[in-house]
Amino acid sequence: MIDFVVQHLAWVQNPVVVARQLLAGISNGMLLFLISAGLSLIFGVLRIINFAHGAFFMIGAFIAVSASGLAPGGIGGFAAALLGAAAGLALLGVALETGLLRRIYRAPHEYQLLLTFALVFILGDAAKLIWGREDNSVAVPEMLAGATRALGLTFPTYRLFLIVIGIGVAAALWLVLHRTRWGVFVRAATMDRGMLSALGVNTRWLFTAVFAAGAALAGLGGALAAPIVAVGPGLHVQVIIDAFVIVVIGGMGSVLGALVASLLVGIVNAFGILAIPGAAVVLTFALMAVVLIVRPHGLFGTPE
Amino acid sequence: MIRIALGAVVLLALPFALSQFWTFIAIEALAFALYAVSFNVLLGYGGMLSFGHAAFFGVGGYAAAILLKKAGLPPTLAFALVPVTALVVSALFAALIGVFSVQRSGIYFAMLTFAFQMLLYTLALKASSITGGDDGMTGLKPPGALAQPFYYYYYALAFVAAGLYVLYRLVSSPFGFTLRALRANPRRVQYIGVNVRAHQLAAFVASGAFAGLAGSLFALSSGNVFPGWLNWTASATPIVMAVLGGVHTFLGPALGAAVYVVLEVLISGKTEYWPLAMGVIIVALVLLMPEGLSGLRRKTA
Repeated sequence: MIDFVVQHLAWVQNPVVVARQLLAGISNGMLLFLISAGLSLIFGVLRIINFAHGAFFMIGAFIAVSASGLAPGGIGGFAAALLGAAAGLALLGVALETGLLRRIYRAPHEYQLLLTFALVFILGDAAKLIWGREDNSVAVPEMLAGATRALGLTFPTYRLFLIVIGIGVAAALWLVLHRTRWGVFVRAATMDRGMLSALGVNTRWLFTAVFAAGAALAGLGGALAAPIVAVGPGLHVQVIIDAFVIVVIGGMGSVLGALVASLLVGIVNAFGILAIPGAAVVLTFALMAVVLIVRPHGLFGTPE
Repeated sequence: MIRIALGAVVLLALPFALSQFWTFIAIEALAFALYAVSFNVLLGYGGMLSFGHAAFFGVGGYAAAILLKKAGLPPTLAFALVPVTALVVSALFAALIGVFSVQRSGIYFAMLTFAFQMLLYTLALKASSITGGDDGMTGLKPPGALAQPFYYYYYALAFVAAGLYVLYRLVSSPFGFTLRALRANPRRVQYIGVNVRAHQLAAFVASGAFAGLAGSLFALSSGNVFPGWLNWTASATPIVMAVLGGVHTFLGPALGAAVYVVLEVLISGKTEYWPLAMGVIIVALVLLMPEGLSGLRRKTA
């Protein structure tokens, strides 16, 4: 037992390993933030648990695969893929919200749950029909490939890029939510939708916009993840679980909570892989269970 | 009463009319009928939407498998102990998960049950020395003649009927009526002096226990258990069955379970895209049939 612990914790004394895992954890956390921020916002405003959010992420990644087939390696093509994934998923979000979700806001919870769950099946199989069943890989664009030296250590440049993008998106989200009229409506809607509607705000289109924005963030996350994950039809299943764990830990409806919990889960996973190889995922759920027991409404959630 | 007697006759005669394959499917439908009804005791009567009920079905299945394969008991004795073990172990897990989950209501309750189920799923996946990990546990077999679907059908039917009877007595008891009142208005019930959380927890434990019994019955029929039984996608199954059959009747979910199981066999035999077909069916169900199959009957009557 002692031998096992010593053997698996030897890396603690190695600053290079610790720094590299920390960076990997933070950059993965940023990807998780992109998907969980949308999930959390949608829950906060629409009061719907969108199980299809992982499928949005996967479709974003598949769009990046298609784009890299058209223009491999170039930074221009990659940027176009990111924008295309975000725009494509926003459109899909508008279509799904206006065509389906809008009909069931007044229905019992189990109907809402089943509807987004059915979308997981439908989108998952649709992706198989369009992109096939194989795992695809996307090359890191040349400009972001290679390593960068910082603090006397070398880091993969793409990981640093992900962190920069994640910080950028978090800052942009904060600005939109706290410095624009639309953001005021969104925050008001998470507190009291009925009151907001009574005050004359068109909540119908607010809901559509929030759902589309959440879908776009997930699509962007998927496209950004494409160069560092295997893009295949099973991608959405693991991603949605991580996103749920994060939303539960951070507090449902809180974007700040999603950010903190994403980084926490990303880092716990990165070190968990070293500490208990093969069973790191247990740590994530244990973390969630502890948070739920100590703070049932999550780190930044408000009691209903 | 006449309808129940008629149903009993049909169920007793069924294996004589069915091929071995369809008898096997009928056993699956029976197990899932008990599963769906036990789930609906929470949803339809208590207004509690559990999105982690696959945890108990799975725990029941694993309890049966571990008892048969790892406990080192004589096979017949192990087999005889399966139902009671599945009930007790699932009840214990339900009590543990329920204590934390019933603290919240509505969609938050659903998320908590979801979270605990995923914890159990990863445990089933990773504790491979006990659960067989990714490969699950296979080669489970009832002793003697019961290994044939024809006889095992009657064995399963007896336990499903007994389980349904107990659950029916439960929901028609004063406890059951308190549960219904809780669905309508928990705050009022609390004001009369009822311990709301304790009632919800008791319902959760009863529901989890019978879901576990259903899981153990199915495990011995299919011959295996896999971690996927506890995965979150499996937790939608009892919801679909209950909604399909109608949540406001006691036996509606059992009917929904039978229809679901048969549909799955028929569709997955025709196309590898059965999730797509199932997804479309669920969307249609949600948008077009607010009261499920039993609602249709009421409308035409």
